Amino acid sequence: MSPGIAGMGWVTPLGRGVEEVWNRLTREDEATAQIVSGQEGTKSYQAFLVPDDTLKNLPPHPRLRRASAISRFAAAAGLDAIAQAKAINLNIDPEKLGLVFAASNGGVAYTKRFYHDIVRSGAQSASPLLFPETVFNAPASHLAAILGVNGASYTVVGDGAVGILAIKMASELLETGTVDHCLVVAAEEADWILCDAYHKWRLVKSSPPVEPFCDPPHGTILSEGAGAVLLGDEGKVKVAAINAGGNFSHQRKAFQIVEQIVQGLGQNADIVASANGTFVDLAERDAIKKVAAESLVYSPKPALGESVGAGALWQVIIAAHALEKKRFPPLLHFDRKAGLRFPTGAEEVRPEVIVSSCGLNQQAAGLRLSH
Amino acid sequence: MLSFNASDGTNTKTRVAVVAAGIVSPLGFGLQDTLGSLRKATDCVSPVSRFDVSRCRCKTAAQIPDDRLIRSGQKGRKKARLHRASHMMIAALAELFEVDSSFQPEVTIIGTTSGGMSYGEDYYRAVQQHANLRRSPEWIANYPPQKPVLDAQHEFGISAPCFVIANACASGTNAIGRAFECVRSGKYNRVLTGGYDAISELVFVGFDSLQAATPEKCRPFDRDRTGMVLGEGAAVLALENFESAVKRRATILGEIVGYGISTDNHHLTQPDPSGTGPKRAMEQALRSAGYVAGQVDYINAHGTATPFNDAAEGKAISELFGEVPVSSTKSMIGHSLGAAGAIEAVICLLALQSQFLPPNINFRAPDSGFPLNIVANESRDSKIETALSNSFGFGGTNASVLLRKVAA
Repeated sequence: MSPGIAGMGWVTPLGRGVEEVWNRLTREDEATAQIVSGQEGTKSYQAFLVPDDTLKNLPPHPRLRRASAISRFAAAAGLDAIAQAKAINLNIDPEKLGLVFAASNGGVAYTKRFYHDIVRSGAQSASPLLFPETVFNAPASHLAAILGVNGASYTVVGDGAVGILAIKMASELLETGTVDHCLVVAAEEADWILCDAYHKWRLVKSSPPVEPFCDPPHGTILSEGAGAVLLGDEGKVKVAAINAGGNFSHQRKAFQIVEQIVQGLGQNADIVASANGTFVDLAERDAIKKVAAESLVYSPKPALGESVGAGALWQVIIAAHALEKKRFPPLLHFDRKAGLRFPTGAEEVRPEVIVSSCGLNQQAAGLRLSH
Repeated sequence: MLSFNASDGTNTKTRVAVVAAGIVSPLGFGLQDTLGSLRKATDCVSPVSRFDVSRCRCKTAAQIPDDRLIRSGQKGRKKARLHRASHMMIAALAELFEVDSSFQPEVTIIGTTSGGMSYGEDYYRAVQQHANLRRSPEWIANYPPQKPVLDAQHEFGISAPCFVIANACASGTNAIGRAFECVRSGKYNRVLTGGYDAISELVFVGFDSLQAATPEKCRPFDRDRTGMVLGEGAAVLALENFESAVKRRATILGEIVGYGISTDNHHLTQPDPSGTGPKRAMEQALRSAGYVAGQVDYINAHGTATPFNDAAEGKAISELFGEVPVSSTKSMIGHSLGAAGAIEAVICLLALQSQFLPPNINFRAPDSGFPLNIVANESRDSKIETALSNSFGFGGTNASVLLRKVAA
C-alpha cells in the first residue's frame, strides 16, 4: 500500500501555509537572516527565524500557554495539515489517528535556559516548569492533547534524515492497520547555542547566502519551523517508496549511501535534495551525477535555511506540491559548475519526485513521491 | 507464516523470537551478572559522584562504574572521545553478538531520552565560563541521541537504518514494541532493538526540581514511597522471525507476544489518576497477544516510586490482573529512563528462563489504595510462563510488552 498525502502544514521563516510559502519560493524570495546573539561578549550568528506573527492564530489551548517555540511550530503545522484534510471533507477519527513527531535538537531554548540556571546559580534554582518542556516528546505530547490522539504517538530523533524515518514509521503504522491516518510532524527551533555548536563543527557560515553544490562548500545557515504531512489512503500524491537508507561513519562516505538511496528509488524522477552548503552537497552532487544525471535537482535550503530535524519534511512538502504544480521553484545561488540540471521555474517536473535527505550526523534516507 | 494458538485460538500472526540479548546496568555487566544480582536483591543505589548534587534534595543514583565500562578493547584516541552512553551500547551489543554472532539486523530501533546529554552540559559550561573549547567539536559530534547507537553499529559493522525513539521514559519499551511489530508484520526478519541512557546533571536536577526524586530509599508501591532514584544503562535484544530462528538453529531466549501503546493526555508530567492510560496499554498488549489477563504470571511494573505513578499504575494493575505478582526492579537499579524498558524486558527474559520473580526491594507496607501482590524484598522461585513489562513516561506515553517463555 502506498499512503497518500491527505494534508500538509508548513511553518517557515518565509511564512506559514503551503500556498503562501510556495508562492514566495516561486517568486525567488529567500528568508531574511536575523542576528542571533548569545551572552554578552560572545560571537553573534545569523539564522533564518520564523517571524513573530506567524503563529498568531494558534488556538488558545492550555497546553500551548507555556510551550516552547518548537512545540508551537509543531502544533501550527500539525493543525494546518489536519485542517487542510478536513477542508476536503476527510473524516479523521482521533481514535485511529497516529502521531509521529521528528526532531533533531528538540527544545533547545528551554533546555539551555534550564541548564543555564543550574550553571549560574546552582541546582536549587532549576525550574520545575521548564524541565518537562526539555524532553524530546513534549511537542508530540502537546499536539496529541490538542488533537485528542490517545493511541500510537512516537517521537523519533536523528539528524536531517529523521523526517524520512518518521514517514517510514508512519507508513508502517498505516500498513499494519494500527491507525487509519497518521500525522507526521517535524520541527526545530533555532538558538544561539545551536548556531555556535554547528559553527564550531564547521558547518555554519557567518552570513547568507546558502550556496548549494559549491565545491568546496561554504557552509549553511540554520533556520527553524515545522512541516507536517497527514498520511492516509486519500491524497493524489502518494508515497510510492521509502528507503530508510543507512549510516556513514565519515563524511566522505556519505556519497555511497546517497548513491544507493537514489539508485534504489529509481532514476526516472526529479529530485528535491538536502544540499545545504556543506559536505552533504558534494555527496548528493556526485551520487546524482552518477545515477540520475538527467534529473532536475532542487533544494529549498538557499531560501529557507537548514532546519535540521524539520528539513526533510520541508523537502517532502515541496516535492508533493511540485508534483501538483508540475514545477519546481527556481533554485537560488547554485554553483553552475556543479554539472547538475537545476530548475529555473520553467521546466516541467516529472510525475515522480525523489526526496534525498543526507543528514549532518551520519544518517541518510530518501523517498519517492508519485502523482 | 507460522501460526500459534493462544488460549483463545485466534492469533495467527508471525511469532517473534528473542535470539540474543545484551545488558549493562548497575546490576552488572552481562546477563549472568544481572541474574546473580537480581537473585541477591542487590541495592545498586549509591551517592552520586559524577557531578555536584550538594544542592539537590536527592543525592543518590544507581551508576555504572567507568573503569569497567570502558573496555580495554575500546581504548584508543577515537574511542576515548565517545560518550559513556556509546560505551554502554557497545558493551551491550558485544554481549549480544557473543550470544549470536551471525545476527544481522535489517533495521535498528532503539529508545533513549537524553542521548549524550553530559557532553552538551560540558559544552555549555565551557561556553558560559569562557573555558577552553578545544574539545567542543567532539562534544558536539557525540551529543546527538542517535550517535551512541551508530557508534555501536559501526563497532560491529552494522549499517542498518537506525530509528531512535524518544518517548521519554517509555522509549525502551516503545522501541521493543515497534521492533516486535516490524517482525510480526512479516516485513522484517531481524530487528535489533533496546534502549540506553547515561546519567547526566541536567536530567538529575530536572527530576529533583520536580521533587520526583527521593532523598530516601526508592520504595516502589510502598505506602510511604517518596519518589524515584535515577539509574543508567543499556540493553539490546535481537528479535527474529521465530520460524527463521528455528531454521538456523538460533538459541531462543524467549518470545515477545504482545505490545500495547497508549497516550494519556491528562498532563505533560502526571498520569491520569484513574490509571486509564496504563490500563489501555496493558489491555492492548494482551489483545495483540490474544491473551487474557489470567495468563500473565508476572508484571515488571514501571513502578518509579513516585506517589502519582505508582497510584495510577497500581490501580490499573489491580483492576486488570488482581493478584498477579508485581515488582519494580527500579527499586534496585533506579530509573534508567530510555534504557528502563529494555533493561526490564531483559530482566523479564531472565525471570522466564530461570523461573523466578525479581524482587521489589525496600518494600515495607502496602498502599491501601491499590491491592497488589508485591514480590517484596527477596526474589522468589516461581513457575512463570508469561511476563508483562510496563513503561510510562512524560508526555503521557504508556507502553507494555508481553513476553513468554519458550519450551526447551
